[in-house]
Amino acid sequence: MKEMIERKKGFPWGTLILSVLAFLCAGVLVQRYVFGLGAMTNMSDGRGWGLWISFDLYCGVALAAGGFTLAALVHIFNMEKYHPVVRPAILTAFLGYLLVVLALLVDLGQPWYIWRMIFNPNIHSPLYEVGWCVMLYTAVLALELSPAVFERLHWRIPLKIIGFIQIPLIIAGIVISTGHQNSLGSMLLIMTHSIDPLWYTPIIPALFFVSAMAVGPAMVIFEGTLSGAVFGHKISQEVFTGLGRITSGILAVYLIMRLADLAVAGQFDMLFNRYPQNIYWWIEILGGVVLPIILFNIPKVQQSKKGMFVAALLYIILGLSFNRFIMSSIWLVIRPGYTYFPSWQEFAVSIGLVAWALMMFQIAMRLLPIAGHHGEEEAKSEHAAPEATPAA
Amino acid sequence: MTNHWIDIRNADCVLIIGSNAAENHPICMKYVLEAQDRGAKVIHVDPRYSRTSSKADVFVRIRTGTDIAFMGGMILHILNDMRLNPGNYNLEYVQHYTNAAYIVNDGVKLPGDTDQNGLFSGWADGKYDTATWKYANTAAATAEAKLLTPNWEGWTNRAADENTAWGELNNNCVLKLLWRNYKRYDKAAVSKITGIPVDKLEAVYAEYAKTGAKGKAGTIMYAMGATQHTYGSQNIRAYSLVQLLLGNMGVAGGGINALRGTSNVQGSTDQALLEQYLPGYLKTTTDTDAHQTLAGYVANITPAATNPPGELGGDNPVNWWKNTPKYVHSLLKAWWPNVALADSFNYLPKKKASGVNYTHMGLIQAIGEGKIEGLWIWGQNPAAGGPTSLGARDALKKLKWMVASDIWFNETHTFWKRPGVTSGDIQTEVFLLPAAGSFEKEGSVSNSGRWVQWRYRAVEPPGEAIPDLDMMIRLFKRIRELYVKEGGTFADPIVNLGWEYSDEEEADVIAREMNGYALTADVPKSGSPGTFYEVGELIDWFNDLQTDGRTSSGNWLHCGQYTKAGEADLQNYPELITSPNGIKSINKARKRNTVDSSPNQVGLYPNWSWCWPRNRRIIYNRAAVDLDGNPWDAEHPVLAWNGTTWVGDVVDGGGNPINLAADGAKNLPFIMNVEGVGKLWGYGLKDGPIPEVYEPWESPISNLMTAQQNDPAAYIGSLVVDGTDWNQRGTVEEFPYVATTYRCTEHWQTGIMTRNLPWLAELMPDMYVELGEDLAADLGIASGDTVKVRSARGEIQALAVVTKRFQAITVDGKAIHQVGFPWHWGYAGRVTGDSGNVLTPHVGDANTSIPESKSFLCKVEKA
Amino acid sequence: MAYGVLYDGTRCIGCRSCSVACKSWNKNPADTDKETSVEGGIEGKAVVSDKTFTFMRFREIGDGDDLKWAFGKVQCMHCLKPGCETACIVGALHRKKATGAVTYDKQKCIGCRYCMVACPFGIPTYQWEERMPWIRKCTFCSDRLNEAENGMAPACVTACPTHAMEFGDRDELIEKAWARINAAPEGKYVRHVYGEKEVGGTAWMYISPVDMTELDFPWLSEEPVTKNARTAMGLLPYYATGMLALMAGIYFITKRKQKIAAGKHEEKKG
Repeated sequence: MKEMIERKKGFPWGTLILSVLAFLCAGVLVQRYVFGLGAMTNMSDGRGWGLWISFDLYCGVALAAGGFTLAALVHIFNMEKYHPVVRPAILTAFLGYLLVVLALLVDLGQPWYIWRMIFNPNIHSPLYEVGWCVMLYTAVLALELSPAVFERLHWRIPLKIIGFIQIPLIIAGIVISTGHQNSLGSMLLIMTHSIDPLWYTPIIPALFFVSAMAVGPAMVIFEGTLSGAVFGHKISQEVFTGLGRITSGILAVYLIMRLADLAVAGQFDMLFNRYPQNIYWWIEILGGVVLPIILFNIPKVQQSKKGMFVAALLYIILGLSFNRFIMSSIWLVIRPGYTYFPSWQEFAVSIGLVAWALMMFQIAMRLLPIAGHHGEEEAKSEHAAPEATPAA
Repeated sequence: MTNHWIDIRNADCVLIIGSNAAENHPICMKYVLEAQDRGAKVIHVDPRYSRTSSKADVFVRIRTGTDIAFMGGMILHILNDMRLNPGNYNLEYVQHYTNAAYIVNDGVKLPGDTDQNGLFSGWADGKYDTATWKYANTAAATAEAKLLTPNWEGWTNRAADENTAWGELNNNCVLKLLWRNYKRYDKAAVSKITGIPVDKLEAVYAEYAKTGAKGKAGTIMYAMGATQHTYGSQNIRAYSLVQLLLGNMGVAGGGINALRGTSNVQGSTDQALLEQYLPGYLKTTTDTDAHQTLAGYVANITPAATNPPGELGGDNPVNWWKNTPKYVHSLLKAWWPNVALADSFNYLPKKKASGVNYTHMGLIQAIGEGKIEGLWIWGQNPAAGGPTSLGARDALKKLKWMVASDIWFNETHTFWKRPGVTSGDIQTEVFLLPAAGSFEKEGSVSNSGRWVQWRYRAVEPPGEAIPDLDMMIRLFKRIRELYVKEGGTFADPIVNLGWEYSDEEEADVIAREMNGYALTADVPKSGSPGTFYEVGELIDWFNDLQTDGRTSSGNWLHCGQYTKAGEADLQNYPELITSPNGIKSINKARKRNTVDSSPNQVGLYPNWSWCWPRNRRIIYNRAAVDLDGNPWDAEHPVLAWNGTTWVGDVVDGGGNPINLAADGAKNLPFIMNVEGVGKLWGYGLKDGPIPEVYEPWESPISNLMTAQQNDPAAYIGSLVVDGTDWNQRGTVEEFPYVATTYRCTEHWQTGIMTRNLPWLAELMPDMYVELGEDLAADLGIASGDTVKVRSARGEIQALAVVTKRFQAITVDGKAIHQVGFPWHWGYAGRVTGDSGNVLTPHVGDANTSIPESKSFLCKVEKA
Repeated sequence: MAYGVLYDGTRCIGCRSCSVACKSWNKNPADTDKETSVEGGIEGKAVVSDKTFTFMRFREIGDGDDLKWAFGKVQCMHCLKPGCETACIVGALHRKKATGAVTYDKQKCIGCRYCMVACPFGIPTYQWEERMPWIRKCTFCSDRLNEAENGMAPACVTACPTHAMEFGDRDELIEKAWARINAAPEGKYVRHVYGEKEVGGTAWMYISPVDMTELDFPWLSEEPVTKNARTAMGLLPYYATGMLALMAGIYFITKRKQKIAAGKHEEKKG
């Protein structure tokens, strides 16, 4: 027990800040439920979706893709190299999805009626698919995370049961989660004329799928670097380099898809004359896709922790998040003339939820066998993992 | 209106001038659009492009107050076009139904004549002596014979150049007088005055003049934009002149059609809520010698006929006002049934013939001078509805008491605690009697088309509110009681009134009184010779009213509305039958028959309600047929002679068509004129026989036509309260923009009803001023800014609505900006704002004193 | 058969009787939260909101002698293939086959507001100030249409003084619209019936003296907004099956490879 919990020296500034943010969020939530959304958000009839949908739902779900990508890499593609980062990825994903669900409970006008989704199906609605699958996948992630808990609690039998269904669970998880990465894109297919033509295309679901796959490894680099710095556990640079190559490979495909799509639609000239939307496009693609592809393939960067971190961050922020923001908010014009910038309360909720998630992450990392773990290997003991490095 | 609402669809051209029909009479646009569907052109003449203009084929932007220049130019155009192409016009109509050929007194002088300086002959001591305006022979008019020859073949030089052609005619015949006056109104001159480009004038004149053709009709729709000027009556005269020249009076799709300003103002003027009339447009009694006795009064106001010249087809001018004595006597009998006529005549108040203005502005003035102790207002709001509001509000403090009947608190009721005054300083005691609204009581509403439509109570009035009628009756009873008990100065007129009503009397009873009864058994029925009315039977034709007290009639116009029920009525309208005095009768205003039984369905709907006079839907309708009784327009016939009788509308004046009538009975169509023909030339108005260009009291330019800047007989008020005259006159240097006022669909009058209704208040909560993009750019004003608007009478704040619909015009070579705003706001109500009437001047029309709210000067700047 | 309304901009006088009639029928309160607009050169309402289901939009177009003041009534278009209906997670928005009205059932709504962003006309509005907020929009007076045998048209149509709106069978209205356009003199109408084909057709259709886009009605293609989304959702089962098979396949392949490699390794060892 003791060795699991490291005593930190010095004042826990980080924890304090995170706690303050979480408390602030709680206070704002009281305002939200007592006075309604109009009292504390800047959303309006012309901007029905705001920060919570763009960030918490769209980015949240996409950025939690690390869970299924790493699970696929490790357990389906059997790339043992990435084993050390699977559990952190799944923890990140699980907390990420919890965050999505909580944010939705804040954003929904009448979240106490969320059960209506179960009894009133509209199978044509992409959001229906998303709703169900987010629910299911959160459960799947919980199950995928449960071995860590069972190990910590030394519950052998549940561990065995989970171990038994692990692969089907993971495959189901991959199908469900990639399914709703698609559907998040399908949701946007209805906005045929409202999403700017530089981004609207019938293949949005495919683009979302591919970009989600690409961000999984990048998120692992990001989260792995950070937790390495905070918790001190080391992940080999090779792991990061490999992840970077996977991301850049998928990004290359993504880039080709984006360009080909514009070409087929005959909208290439928009890149030059559709101002100011084109500026957003260039920033997104050059800064968020092309640059990371290049960086991930430069040896110097590959060897640098900082370099890989920056490259990953570029894609995460400019390539993925910015893209999701553009398509679900910035260039989603339902009623011309309406502007929107989130209120401080909206920020407080999003930031507060992230703060809460970070605190949970911290606690989980301290209490549970997450980092650099081989426990499942011990449980299964079928194959040795010759290349896995032991925990530091 | 001479015609009616539905008739508008029969027009071949609709001229909407001085009116914003779509916004203020939206339902009538149904008929305007129908006319348009049938191919009619719609022309809208207005200083501002409005919702009406959006439906017009042609929009003509005019400087406010220059209708006479515009119409004068049209008159000149028609005169010359008619001269050159008489075949394009209805010459017969002009010859036989107007006084075009009549010769006027040879002392007549026109404003453009040497040394007249813009005045007609006869101006002396501050008014016109109209002797020189009359015909050379008033008993039997003489005519310029050439004009009465068929196709003007007697006018030998007709087709020569202008001066030669017109020079051939008698210098004082009417048509020549028109040309002499309006030849100054060439298109260049008109353009300079009105700001309308010459090519536009040409196009519009030509288009409207097409309705002069036989069988074609043009209608002129006008409203307060035409009347609310110091020469408003002359504006309307100008329209009548054009309509007579074009043969558009009395025909379907024609006429002079006033869009009345409120839903029942026609009713109110019919019942003489104007100071210069008794019910039925009888002249009020004055303190002149002539009016000292009933006989003298009746003789004074009953006109003598002017017989037509021999060359005219018709020989009987009919002169319907010769029946005045019957109407006066019957009115006296209705009010004071048990008093001898000679005595009850003296019960009528006699106003001063001169020196006092009894109209709205004059009343406010008198209040301000402390001459009025108490004011009784019924659904009125002088503190916001009349001009020079700040002065009017200040004046009210001089009242000892005010009693108001209304459905809301308005600016007048709350003047004593309005923003900016200390209520403790004002001693006026105000009583508000809650009144029933228009759907909370039963009675009639007379629309612009003179249709007396009966309305029913839909809901009970709230709380203690009761209809005005009930209020009046109860007040009368208490006042009479007091007079009986305590006596007083001249109690008889009150005590002897024949108002034996219950406290909740039915309007139906009043309607019968207005119609009138036979009081004796020997009143003959002219409709069925040889028969007589029963005692207590309702009179069915005002022709049957008597001069010796044998009949009563509260308003001869309504005579025939409520009659003994005929067989057809008993069968077709059993639910409407009542039994006053035991005789089965019917109030025809209640009829709701949607079948248009008129010929060719020209829209008369004779069994939908009842209109005065005699359910005649189009007045002067004899002018719609030729001398043989055949309609000019077979497709839209109003009347036709079928050999034995008239088919269609109720014929004006009765008798056979002119060519089929005996001598002495060849009835002329304009029966309300002493000469029986339409008056191109007049002599009854105070400021001129024909319209002449004058500038509004506050104008940006000098009169470009003559040296006479303003209408010489205009009423110029002075609103003096405690030494301050609120009626200040502004100059163009200080107030460079021309202002006009108007109304909008969303609000009503001073806004008391509509600003208290959330659904309307939310559409337009704020008082606004509309100004052109060009002016706004100059002043640095953006749409939505708050701006100040100032005139010599005060200052208001308003929301600026910057629009393309106002644009600068070129007047006398200078750019003139016009701005406009409504007068729907005040400090009372759910949503408030400044009143437009703060800025309007206390001046009015020479004949009616209607305020000149439509043209004055102002300044606009950012607040 | 489905109903439609044909709005004729050459007959509309912008009097806003329709707005007031709608408020009256739906018992909507005045919307004092919204600022007064001066758009289009007139004071008034310029947005639909939770309390205002319809408003008249004004636009001043052109200048000088060519100036036109055009009007367009804005309300739910009651699309034949509504985006909101496909979007709604819980099927609260539903187009009734019998009347063509796109109705809203608050018994199902959870407030996700997807319908608001899915609508190409930006119509559905939200009760932002309420603790229990619902979506609000024009109902096509469904409660009046149910009386259709008695001939009750929507309140706005009934109130219009100039009969600028005509209510009836949608296909018949399209014929009437074109008949009116063809019978009119050149230039009276823009030769287009807005809503006939836009986004697969809408119940509310417009003929007008100016292009409806000049009245800020959105330019829309004929493809229903639901098409791509429904296609994508339709492909989902195939996608899921395919992915399942793919993942399972890859798993077994790589597992076998590992086994073989390990076996080889064992062999080497042993």
